Amino acid sequence: MIRPTTARISLALFVLPALTIYIAFAVLPLALSILMSFFSTKDTAGRVFVGLQNYYYLFTHPVTSARFWNALLNNIEYFAIHLIVEVPIGLLLAGLLTSGLLRRSEGIYRTLLFIPATLSVVIVGFIWRLIINPLWGFVHFPLLGNEMTALPVISLMSVWQYVGIPMIFLYSALLAVPEDIVEAARIDGASNWRIFWGIKFPLIAPQFGLIVILTYIWTFNGFDLIFALNGSAPGPNYSTDILGTLFYRTFFGSSGQVADIDLGATVATVIFTIILVVTAVYFWLVQRRLKTYQI
Amino acid sequence: MTLALSNESATRSTRKSGDGRAWSADRIVVHALLIFFVLLAIGPILIVVLNSFKLTPAIFGGPFDLPTAKTFSVDGYLRVFTRGNFLLNYQNSLIVTVVTIALTIVTATLAAYGLVEYKLGIAPVLGGLFIVGIMLPIRLGTVPILQIMISWNLVDTLSALILVYTAMSIPIAVTLMVAYFRTVPTELKEAARIDGAGEFRTFLIALPVVKPGLAAVATLTMLPVWNDLWFPLVLAPSKSNQTVTLGVQQFVGQFLNDYPALLAALTLGVVPLVVLYIIFSRQFIKGLSQGVGK
Amino acid sequence: MADVKITNLYKRYGAVEVLKNINLDIRSGEFVAFVGPSGCGKSTLLRCISGLEQISQGTLEIGGRVVNDIGPSQRGIAMVFQSYALYPHKTVYDNMAYSLQLQKLPKDQIDRMVMAAAEKLQLVPYLKRLPKALSGGQRQRVAIGRAIVRNPKVFLFDEPLSNLDAALRVQMRIEIAQLNKNLSDTAMIYVTHDQVEAMTMADKIVVLRDGVVQQVGSPLELYESPQNLFVAKFIGSPEMNFMTGDDARGYKAETVGVRPEHMRIEPSGGVWTGTVMHSENLGADSYIYIDMGGAKPIIIRQEGKSDYRSGQHLSFSPKDDRYHLFDAGGRPMAH
Repeated sequence: MIRPTTARISLALFVLPALTIYIAFAVLPLALSILMSFFSTKDTAGRVFVGLQNYYYLFTHPVTSARFWNALLNNIEYFAIHLIVEVPIGLLLAGLLTSGLLRRSEGIYRTLLFIPATLSVVIVGFIWRLIINPLWGFVHFPLLGNEMTALPVISLMSVWQYVGIPMIFLYSALLAVPEDIVEAARIDGASNWRIFWGIKFPLIAPQFGLIVILTYIWTFNGFDLIFALNGSAPGPNYSTDILGTLFYRTFFGSSGQVADIDLGATVATVIFTIILVVTAVYFWLVQRRLKTYQI
Repeated sequence: MTLALSNESATRSTRKSGDGRAWSADRIVVHALLIFFVLLAIGPILIVVLNSFKLTPAIFGGPFDLPTAKTFSVDGYLRVFTRGNFLLNYQNSLIVTVVTIALTIVTATLAAYGLVEYKLGIAPVLGGLFIVGIMLPIRLGTVPILQIMISWNLVDTLSALILVYTAMSIPIAVTLMVAYFRTVPTELKEAARIDGAGEFRTFLIALPVVKPGLAAVATLTMLPVWNDLWFPLVLAPSKSNQTVTLGVQQFVGQFLNDYPALLAALTLGVVPLVVLYIIFSRQFIKGLSQGVGK
Repeated sequence: MADVKITNLYKRYGAVEVLKNINLDIRSGEFVAFVGPSGCGKSTLLRCISGLEQISQGTLEIGGRVVNDIGPSQRGIAMVFQSYALYPHKTVYDNMAYSLQLQKLPKDQIDRMVMAAAEKLQLVPYLKRLPKALSGGQRQRVAIGRAIVRNPKVFLFDEPLSNLDAALRVQMRIEIAQLNKNLSDTAMIYVTHDQVEAMTMADKIVVLRDGVVQQVGSPLELYESPQNLFVAKFIGSPEMNFMTGDDARGYKAETVGVRPEHMRIEPSGGVWTGTVMHSENLGADSYIYIDMGGAKPIIIRQEGKSDYRSGQHLSFSPKDDRYHLFDAGGRPMAH
């Protein structure tokens, strides 16, 4: 057995490098960000503590808050589309790949289907924008220029790219379901459909829930695709503006907006809170479900 | 329907899939659906790559046509290489990604070993701190990060990117490696200690057992780092420091109507990772699925 | 009328032939064990009968009906897996009721059938539990219950007791044997690598090796009249002793086999001689290991205590005519 002091020192030494980098460049900045949101340099010489004033401003000032609530609603729509399209398709593909009806083709399909996920989302956006450009002729309607269709279309681009992730995730979860249980179900007379929904899916429920919450986190962190296609004031008419682009614009400013670091920090904190609260609630509720079906 | 299972993870080699009926209804449906999605997945990429080798009129005239002798052209690529800095961008992306992966693996493996080996009260707390980091949106701390970089004179450097990306990758890497280190048999470490090994030596002895974890970490780290747009934009935006992702975004922004060049740029941005992925796809997916599984 | 009739069955995985020309008749009420070393094909054969594997060539009939192309759930079979394969997210009741629910039988009928099986297996107090809350033996009973409920013509067991500890195994063996008696119109096919298990439970044993049937017969037949060297070596614990070369010359055969329990130690003048290596005293019997210069020691079983010391020279002979002769091809010779 190791002496307690040796243990303490060793633990410290082993953990220190990773911990330092992590705290210095991830934890601390976030904490500072949150802190910054309570300060302002707007009407004063230096930095002054203003409590929740920035938040109040964000939520109620006519122009700013309109942009905020717009971005929030857009982000919810962005998330909803991912949830409704990407996760079920990922599940479907994972289910097809593990159906047992494929032999050598399983690997090929899986490899090919995952390719979009290896691409940069930026590139994905440009590829699709080219393809749906009316000039080219595949599509006749300027989807990205229309307020109603722009966000859904961009969301679908993102779904197209990222569907490989839930697919692989749920695929490996499905692989972990023991073969004999499936065979026993076959002997009991279950069809492939029933086996999937009655046996396999219940047993991967925890992983499914995890993918849902991860999708939530990722979509509320979204930025790259929309920025690449539509810039920091993404239109048309802010119809594709989500929280990530709002944050960038607030912090760095744009042609229609002056940069405001503290307000930017405020937006960041709001985003963080939105993510944190829902995630915490999810884990609280679902944590119990996770333990149920240990085999 | 006598259909048996084919299972990638089957260690029981006796239970390989039987040669069931070749064309049952279920099987046709499965193949049909998968083929549909594969076309959907690859189609757009193929269209872009194919058309990048064509002259402009041919691109619009017949987007689905393969380039012929008459329509074949690498003009787009020439323009990309002369007007853009693709080689430089690749170099930057490569440096950032590889160094980040290396740094992440080293620090995370050490940390994970420590967390598993030394069962002090604070260990689970630290472990939890790392787990929380998986959800932590590091971008939200950009404002202070930029300020730190400014004060350290690291603005617009690749080092800034490396540090930030490492911080971003460490939580998942540590959590993953902790799971792998838990599978190291205690007897192995105890035997090493009895033989007189110090702490670090014991760590080295445990290391080979977690090798697959290292591959998983590399895989999981690589994609988000290579494909990220945000931090290159904020921390390393100048022409000489641009990564491939940022480079493509800037290039496309400038050359909106030069279709061959556009397509060439996109192809260049796409092809290397895809090729790399296809070559290593087995390890890639294994790394991802194991990582995600744990 | 045989319940299960296998004719010229072959099973191939691509170019590899895993089962070769299997012909078997199994009558209803019989308890048949498939035994053999790992990789001999016994599990594969069982799975072919169950329908989980497709037969490459040949015919499989159950209850007089050719079932080659019929799905597992329609063949009138039920299977008990080595790992029990219980549905972890369903209660014991639902585990047993699942196949009936799939058939869309009326609820009260399902209830009756499940309760009947549960009572037979003393599972009634556990009906609402999940598998993870059960012990190994209880889980095994649920697995059996799930099979009984289907009222199968053929029961298939795939090494069901390997995951249990020794004491539990003995108990379950008795329970399964009783089950066989109670369900007198079903056939039971039982795969095991443990030949002692097979010998104690089966009416008929099928010995397999590399996909080929070596011998089919009652335990006693296999014990007393093995039809080849492999069966002679496989059946019996400890293994039969084999003398070859010079040691076999006296009998004009290639190999002479004598079981440890059929060897008698003579004070002098026995057929063979050797040096005592080691002896084990187990109380009722003792085993004496003798070195004859060959690779493997000769084992002799003796009742009661053994007084032989290491290094002692002994001579020994088979008791009466309790020996087996094999020719160069491993086939038995008369004597």
